[in-house]
Amino acid sequence: MRQTLRDLFLFFGRDLRIASTYRGPFILEAIEALFAAAMFYYVARFVDSPGLREALPHGNTYFAYSLVGFLFFDYLNAALDTFERSLQEARDAGTLEPLLVTQVSLPVVLTGSALYPFVATTLRIAVYVAWGALLFGFPLRSANWLSVAVVLMATLLAFSGLGIFSASYLLLFKRGNPAKWFVVGVSSIVGGMLFPVSILPPWLQFVARLNPVTYALDAMRAALLDGAGLFAIAKPLVVLLFFAAILLPGSAATFAWALRRTKMTGTLTHS
Amino acid sequence: MAQGEAVALLGANGAGKTTVLRILATLLLPTRGSARLAGHDAVREAAAVRHELGYHAGSDRGFYPRLTGRENLQFFGRLNHLAKGYLDARIRSLGEQFKLGEALDRQVRSLSSGTIQRLSLLRSLLHQPKVLLLDEPTRSLDAIAAAEFRRFLKKEVISAQGTSLLFASHTLPEIEFLADRVAILQQGAIIAFDSPKALKRRYSVATLEEVFLRLTGHDMQPVEETHPA
Repeated sequence: MRQTLRDLFLFFGRDLRIASTYRGPFILEAIEALFAAAMFYYVARFVDSPGLREALPHGNTYFAYSLVGFLFFDYLNAALDTFERSLQEARDAGTLEPLLVTQVSLPVVLTGSALYPFVATTLRIAVYVAWGALLFGFPLRSANWLSVAVVLMATLLAFSGLGIFSASYLLLFKRGNPAKWFVVGVSSIVGGMLFPVSILPPWLQFVARLNPVTYALDAMRAALLDGAGLFAIAKPLVVLLFFAAILLPGSAATFAWALRRTKMTGTLTHS
Repeated sequence: MAQGEAVALLGANGAGKTTVLRILATLLLPTRGSARLAGHDAVREAAAVRHELGYHAGSDRGFYPRLTGRENLQFFGRLNHLAKGYLDARIRSLGEQFKLGEALDRQVRSLSSGTIQRLSLLRSLLHQPKVLLLDEPTRSLDAIAAAEFRRFLKKEVISAQGTSLLFASHTLPEIEFLADRVAILQQGAIIAFDSPKALKRRYSVATLEEVFLRLTGHDMQPVEETHPA
């Protein structure tokens, strides 16, 4: 276990070192975050109306509501994308083969390679929130940070399973990320990213209730904007952990099968 | 293969040389039969096999271009669970032997193809493997670097450390210089396996090239020498 943690940290160190060789991106991303936060603020001012305020959960502004939705989707993207992207990058750069003849297994390679993107995404979100709080009145004082952290962890667990499914798909078919397409595509409408699902027609509200993103986003908004404690968000947390309990073992088994198959067909390192 | 023995895989493109190496390196699974390396089954004991092998795919890829040579080697060495102090000393000593000098501290993206290939060979030796698997190891090296590398392999790796060497090559002088025995492959099967000298004697020919061409059914007529008027 300790050795595995050490191995995982080696990948984080590698990616941190590579990132440090690029000078500009962090400043550019911080500026980009400022523009995005400003855009959400002015869109919120433009669409603000008594009807909209009524549709939102109590005490929320549309700016805070939409910014949380947008940032949550950033995180979701990272969970769905990272495993597949790290596999693709290693394959394209020719580093996959040298990695696979070391003492670490491919699941450790992929998990280790996912650490830095998750940390970088978290930092990027923190910058967005900081701009929102400093310049546009994003309400931070009421946040329950323990609940926020728990919701993030549960979300990562639930959606990493889908990310591993995507990596399996990439192993077999070389291109494409159907999990991302499905989850992000469908959830941008029925996940409550920019508008509450209560405004949808009843049949779409039913679909939204089957979508784990809806629960994750509800829990995140409750924790971040309303200061909800763990007990208050227990229901969405249980739903997320239920999804994780099904998706993680299922995706791990699928990945092991896909890996074996590509080793048999000799296509493991093919792009 | 015996310990400390050097065996060459010789065959036309598609004969199965790289496939053999990749199965032994645990990168491929055999569709039938079994493969053992240093006493371990390549399928059932893949981690133990990887512990005993060094693998170089003969390419100048497989490094992180924005990291230095040393940083790359440290990363891969640590993934083989080498202690930091040992690893640093090993990189230093092998770096000297491979004449990598200051190239170790430059970003890989700024290195020549030949230097990256030497770096890759160095990486395969970091953990002192019992068996070294090399796929066309001198493909990107110039004539001098290739000759130096062959001498280094023979003297420092095979003779001094008793490392077994299995390598695929199209360079017949390289095979004659390094290999104790040659396995000639055709369509996935070994059609001859002996020392270069014994093979030449058996087929009553002067060169390994003639043995190879005869065995693979490509016997060629000698070229008549022509002299310009």
